[in-house]
Amino acid sequence: MPGIGIPKLADNLPPIVKRNYGQWISHEHVRPGVIKHDSKSGEACYSVRVGMPTNARVSKDTLLLFCDLADEYSEGFFRITQRNALEFVGVDSKRIEDLIAKLKEMGFPVGGTNHSLHQTVSCAGWIHCHLAATDPAAIMKSLSDELINDYLNERYPAKLKISASGCINNCGEGSTADIGVVGVHRDLPPLKEEKLGGCELPLVMSVCPTSAIRSKGQKTLEIDAERCVHCPACSVACAAMAPIGSAMGDGVAIVVGGKAANTGKGPAMAKVVIPYLPNNPPRWPEVVSTIKKIIAVWVNGARQDERVGDWIARIGWEKFFQRTGLPVPMKIVDGYDGRSLERQRASVRFRW
Amino acid sequence: MEWVRLVCAHCGFTIERYTDEELKTVPRKAKRYKYLLSKSNICPSCLGSGRLKEVRSATAEEAPKAVDAKSSTAGEKAHAAPTATPLSDELSKGPWPSHTTELKKTKYPIQMYEEALKNRTTQWGYGGYVSLPGVATGVLVRSSARPEITKGSNFVRIMDPCGNFFKASSMRKLCEIADKYAYGLLHLLSTGGDLEMLGIPTENLKAAVQEINSIGFDVGSTGDDYRTSEECIGPAKCDVTLYDTLGFREAWYNRFLDDVQYPRFPHKIKMKFAGCPNDCVRGGQKADIFVCGVFRDLPKVDQAKINEWLKKGARITDIVARCPGDAMSWDGKKLTIDGDSCMRCMYCINKVPGIRPGDDLGVAILVGGKMRGKYGPMLGRVLVPFVKAVPPDYKEVFDLLERITEVYDEHARKKERVGDFIYRNGWDQFMKWCGIKPTPMHLAEPRTNLFIHWEADEIKDERSKAQ
Repeated sequence: MPGIGIPKLADNLPPIVKRNYGQWISHEHVRPGVIKHDSKSGEACYSVRVGMPTNARVSKDTLLLFCDLADEYSEGFFRITQRNALEFVGVDSKRIEDLIAKLKEMGFPVGGTNHSLHQTVSCAGWIHCHLAATDPAAIMKSLSDELINDYLNERYPAKLKISASGCINNCGEGSTADIGVVGVHRDLPPLKEEKLGGCELPLVMSVCPTSAIRSKGQKTLEIDAERCVHCPACSVACAAMAPIGSAMGDGVAIVVGGKAANTGKGPAMAKVVIPYLPNNPPRWPEVVSTIKKIIAVWVNGARQDERVGDWIARIGWEKFFQRTGLPVPMKIVDGYDGRSLERQRASVRFRW
Repeated sequence: MEWVRLVCAHCGFTIERYTDEELKTVPRKAKRYKYLLSKSNICPSCLGSGRLKEVRSATAEEAPKAVDAKSSTAGEKAHAAPTATPLSDELSKGPWPSHTTELKKTKYPIQMYEEALKNRTTQWGYGGYVSLPGVATGVLVRSSARPEITKGSNFVRIMDPCGNFFKASSMRKLCEIADKYAYGLLHLLSTGGDLEMLGIPTENLKAAVQEINSIGFDVGSTGDDYRTSEECIGPAKCDVTLYDTLGFREAWYNRFLDDVQYPRFPHKIKMKFAGCPNDCVRGGQKADIFVCGVFRDLPKVDQAKINEWLKKGARITDIVARCPGDAMSWDGKKLTIDGDSCMRCMYCINKVPGIRPGDDLGVAILVGGKMRGKYGPMLGRVLVPFVKAVPPDYKEVFDLLERITEVYDEHARKKERVGDFIYRNGWDQFMKWCGIKPTPMHLAEPRTNLFIHWEADEIKDERSKAQ
């Protein structure tokens, strides 16, 4: 029964890591997908990074194959990186090519390090979630198919991270990435009155960001359609408000310029540049072509080591929209609350 | 001895049971009991939601529950009778590893996904977190809007080992459990930092959790508690990490495991630990409480190493030009870093082998990052600019974390994330509650308005001080 906690750190590290724990002095990108870490002791540790299916849902058959590879090449260990890639740590430098060839045969690419397209992150979406307005896994799969050569080669000015979330809950971290895709709803929550009995009505009212949900008498609620911002907050809190969304209403928004690192202009959330694109399964051509266009403009315009957010900060939003040719709809002007004033320009230093 | 059972009001399924004596003597169980009664729960058996009913009896036995194999939540039926899936097949093509290929290898009802792609909307129904007898957190249910394909799908969250290192041997056992009790599908790393085992029928849940426990893994991290903490790879594989993130996380689990497994806060609290300001775990953006390694002295410059690096054809002038603080200068022979301009942002350390972080190491604590909440995405803000992280128990840092959650627990509204709570109350109020004195390190800039409130007892004659 629970109460065990996580596996003990000391028993759960690969031998090479255990020997050199905290002793690393430098690292080097040997080739795309392979990183070499040098230790004080003179030992070198090679890590091989493998692309996983988008959203990292893997069948046990495939995982067992990876377990066999781990036994053969990396002393019985592998790890999952923060961006859902799988990493073999401590591979013998002479056998790396061998491992990569085997992985290629299995259909898994090796890459996504340094100045390349890193593995995409996406949430469960339509595979397993009731809130998703779009299917991030399919979008990221379509995009990764098109950009596979950018994953296998390091040919960007800086690293590029693309993430996709199915709704604005952002489990897929769309708003943290250089370029993000976030599913958006445009319908009102259904408000099934017969199911309201199982909900805490005050809670449903209080979670609404715009106070669009009000009480109507003692036992029912009403929704102010004018104020609804179509976030799924009430759908999470109450079964009567779920599912939100419809085939016609749902779609995706594109956000750009998110970044966690303190380098460059520092950490930032991504900003909305396209408020809505339609869902078009199975390949989402509109979304994929828009993202490819943004990437092409960034690759052309950015200086070395300049991530998307830093590039836009340097050239300004006017140049970003000019170069990409994207329209500027009223929906991307923020009018949500007091903080939104800070997003409007106070200077007249325009880059015409 | 009298037994107290909390049962689902709809179907009578026992959610938790206690003895009368336990409730009086074990505070943790009493707290948990009170909590469960105070909120609306989702029953893992019938998926109905609502308040629980309390039943007192002389025996611990529960009412016999009929389990109909046909109504099981596993997707066996859909798997056994495959129909055409043209849209999923389209997604199996292409050079990138395909998720639909993986889904089709398992017992996942692929028809649910196919229908979603066809109808352009999700086919799953409402879901949420449930508690099983003895398993307070870690189990999630998801009902289906298409009962003719599958009734629903439950899954468990398994807390990842430090550094997300998996032994092939234990992964094989996890695969075996996933195959025996569930779809045979594992979600390797949820963005919260857990491993998820998908598609466990309700009647298998408890057995699956027991078996997961028996191989040394534990479930948790759902509901209004500490979620699984995530850490960067730190000293295991990184050459610039400023504290032992993996050891820190293990110590954190040793101290806070109960809070991960027994929900008691107003809302979830996510914690992330990054070894340096590069923030590989995206803690500043995603975590309610973010512990980030920092250093106070200047980066160390090893001129000999830089010269060696330059001989390989590298260009130091590019790095100097791109320094975010404009703190570096290069006179053709020697690199100097200006102490007044350096922001310790890690850029030069990432790029130049001869520049290393300083020696005065510690951690900063940032609070209030989140992705949605009530007031939209927010970045975490500095609450503690520098505190020493001293192994093995990291008492000073953990006490601070506990202080933050106490303040949050005491003053926040229900279902209000830390960032929203601070936004509603103001940073000055939050810092007062936490007992933190402001320093310049806290401020991006001081306020521009002068709408400052003074209490009556703060107004006194201060002329003598000025002289």
